[in-house]
Amino acid sequence: MVTTEADVRSEQARRPARFRGGWLAYAFVGPLLVVFTLFYLWPALNTLLGSFFRWGLLRPWELFSPSEWDFVGIQNYIDTLSSGRFWNAVVNTLVWLVVFPLLVTGVSLFVSMLIWEAPQAKGLFRTAFILPMTISLAAAGVIWTFIYDPDFGVLTRFVEWSGIDFAIDWGPVEFRTSDWLSDPGVIDLGFAQVRMVNLSLIVAGFWAFTGFGVITFTAGLTAVPDELREAARVDGASTTQTIRHILVPLLRGPTLIVATISVIFALRTFDVVWVITQGGPAQDSEVLAVLLWKQAFVFLDSPQAGLATAVAIIMSAVLIAGAWPYLRDLTREGR
Amino acid sequence: MNRRRLVVGALYLALTTLSLLWLIPVMTAFMTSIRPLDEIRGGWWNFEGATFTLENYARAWDLGLSSFALNTFIITLGSVAVTVATGALATYAFIHLSFRFKKIWFFLLISTMIVPLQLIIIPLLPWFRTLGLDQGGWQFLGIILVHTGFGAGWAVFMLSSFFREVPREMLEAGQIDGAGHWDQFRRLVLPLAMPGLVSFAIIDFIFVWNDLLLALTLLQRDFQPIQVGLANLQSPHLSQQDLVSAGAMLAILPPLILFAALNRYYVRGLFAGGSKG
Repeated sequence: MVTTEADVRSEQARRPARFRGGWLAYAFVGPLLVVFTLFYLWPALNTLLGSFFRWGLLRPWELFSPSEWDFVGIQNYIDTLSSGRFWNAVVNTLVWLVVFPLLVTGVSLFVSMLIWEAPQAKGLFRTAFILPMTISLAAAGVIWTFIYDPDFGVLTRFVEWSGIDFAIDWGPVEFRTSDWLSDPGVIDLGFAQVRMVNLSLIVAGFWAFTGFGVITFTAGLTAVPDELREAARVDGASTTQTIRHILVPLLRGPTLIVATISVIFALRTFDVVWVITQGGPAQDSEVLAVLLWKQAFVFLDSPQAGLATAVAIIMSAVLIAGAWPYLRDLTREGR
Repeated sequence: MNRRRLVVGALYLALTTLSLLWLIPVMTAFMTSIRPLDEIRGGWWNFEGATFTLENYARAWDLGLSSFALNTFIITLGSVAVTVATGALATYAFIHLSFRFKKIWFFLLISTMIVPLQLIIIPLLPWFRTLGLDQGGWQFLGIILVHTGFGAGWAVFMLSSFFREVPREMLEAGQIDGAGHWDQFRRLVLPLAMPGLVSFAIIDFIFVWNDLLLALTLLQRDFQPIQVGLANLQSPHLSQQDLVSAGAMLAILPPLILFAALNRYYVRGLFAGGSKG
């Protein structure tokens, strides 16, 4: 039988309809969507609805038992936004939000550039920085308590041995090179106190997270074709010119990714803080994620899970609003 | 030329110093775990009359680490298996098939990459009670499904970048030969995207293995994984750094081995995740 061009064309026109899948599509995508709905969307919806009720884990709020509801409207949000403890957690989270991305982005960019310029053993150096990424933040937290230990910690001993120990007390700024996990100092901004113990925790998280930056920047740098650099050199471009016109534009994308992801990480940080200080001493290092966990699962004598859900909703709203452009890009490129 | 050598020398000096600095924490954990507690008090870097022993590991193992380790393996392997299987199927549908509300589903899935886990953890415990997932071994199933729900977005996002690398002409050729979607998926897409699947599986393995928050929230004492065990062991007022460091080393080891063995896949996967944004 001879297949004419018309036959082929009509076959092509018919095929998409048959190959769109019909019920088969649901067989493929169904299992994932069922699990996702039951164990992500449904709890998320419950968090949102539950934030308008007063309840605790001992007598949880349930959508289908309206007789036991204790509806409070937006009272949970009002209570949260007027609580000193919440704002204390906001300040500590803000310290994370500012310092952590700066450290991660700055240092990983610097390290990636150094590695990129190194003629040999690139992989070896890269591994040293990527390796901590595989370590759990719980284990990282444990390890860093060893380093900060006031008796035999490496850092404590190094400070003593090298004689760089000092303590300053300049009005609003107080800092000492000891008591890393209790009270290494404070900056008094008037309206808020920035506790330096947060920095000790941030360093632990930063140590673990820098590898991500190194990987991402390396991806960006390898995208620079060698010919381009060579051409620049032949054309007599100076090092600064090469950096300005070739590197900076190429690294804008990776920088944005590393900064965005580390902001997201900083806002929801929990593990490191929980393992090292549990938010202490007192509430000096209590971040939002730790506060809400305590409200929901530790303070069981009064029903505070409603407050905790309000904090969770506020955190999520801030993240979605802040990461909106990134989210839009992800959705667009994914398709 | 001399100046160039000086620059390269300085470069290597800086890189070596930084790398060593980066390895100090791991060294600390390792050395602390293989020396007796009273020697560590003099500093692990002090090697005078040093004794090395595996006794810390043996004691930690007997004190319950063994069951923590078993739980972690059950949870991690289960989660990775379910996430990869459902994720691969769904990704195929997202790329090649059409179904209702596809765009909305995709958006919801992708948004889980940004929204914090805190959005779902509070009502999960009562929800588990309703479903009967809060008792005995059912807890494993429960946390595996939560990990799948949370990992679903990552799975679809990362796998679709690998699945799309399968050339369309090959799929079209398959269709003309009368192969159905199931055949296409099994015979063409899966084998060709295998490196991508491995990358994702490794990343998911490390993520689930390292999870603290979900396990701490959802599981009872006897079903907790090693990360929770570590967090509970860790207390500044107890002098048990020998045990804690041995536990930390064991918690680190499996992802580390995986990373060492399959480094290329791991980095490739993160590349795909990182460079896509």
